[in-house]
Amino acid sequence: MPSTMDLSLSRTTAATFEELALLFPEQELSPEQEDAPLDVTVSVDFRGPFTGRLVLSASAVILPTITSNMLGDAGSRQPTLQRDALGELANVICGNLLPAIAGAEAVFHLSAPRMHDVGESVSRQADSASARAVFGVEEGRVSSTLYVFGAAPALTTVA
Amino acid sequence: MAFNVLVVDDSAVMRQMVVRTLKMSGLPLGTVLEAANGEEGLFVLQDQWVDLLLLDINMPVMNGEEMLRRIRSTPETQALPVIVVSTEGSETRLAALHALGCEIVHKPFAPETLRDTIIRVTGVTDAEYYGPVAVADDSGDF
Repeated sequence: MPSTMDLSLSRTTAATFEELALLFPEQELSPEQEDAPLDVTVSVDFRGPFTGRLVLSASAVILPTITSNMLGDAGSRQPTLQRDALGELANVICGNLLPAIAGAEAVFHLSAPRMHDVGESVSRQADSASARAVFGVEEGRVSSTLYVFGAAPALTTVA
Repeated sequence: MAFNVLVVDDSAVMRQMVVRTLKMSGLPLGTVLEAANGEEGLFVLQDQWVDLLLLDINMPVMNGEEMLRRIRSTPETQALPVIVVSTEGSETRLAALHALGCEIVHKPFAPETLRDTIIRVTGVTDAEYYGPVAVADDSGDF
């Protein structure tokens, strides 16, 4: 059974892709989506009542569609803009996720999105993921993972 | 009247999205200026006439809240219409921003949400926004 944090992450990730990138993530992945590599990764660090990191990975094959839907066709072939677009999605997911977990009174500070090289570790050595959500998107997939550093937060109730 | 707009956001992608929405909105636009943080934004305001500011909150160097405080404490810009475009979800922080006299559009936003907020904040009239309305001549016989 998914945890409250898993549900919050899943809902926030799906809603952000729908509203910002005009894409509809699917929870049931096709064999093609299952096999698609997660070859582009960005992360957003946050600090506040608790600290941690939101990591968003995506198949490179879907980046042109994401960028085109966010910016129009002009920027969709530029790798820099494609990565920036994924970074902005991570930023929006993180910004909307934290109040859902910590409550509307909590104040968090978010860092700018950071790109990760292929194979680079996205977590600190002793950290395990606090929540994870994976979706099929077009012919690829996306994965969002929340790491909370230190003590786990007291959770708000997910409606 | 054409509006000069300043968009302040550390994300080049989000600036482009906002500018794209502005251009699609039908708002009579003059110059659209961009800055990547609050400090850059203040420099732009020193040099350029701006009618509307679209402002992110979480930015390096100088965040949006600090930029907004400085704008409100400067006589030349204290009445500048400001729309905060942010993921900010903290009610504590949102209340502080409202107290500084700005509207807030939450990311992710629908283009019409941003457009409607701009119309409300700028006071653009229907005629300015949609152009003069042609009235059908009803004097003829049916």
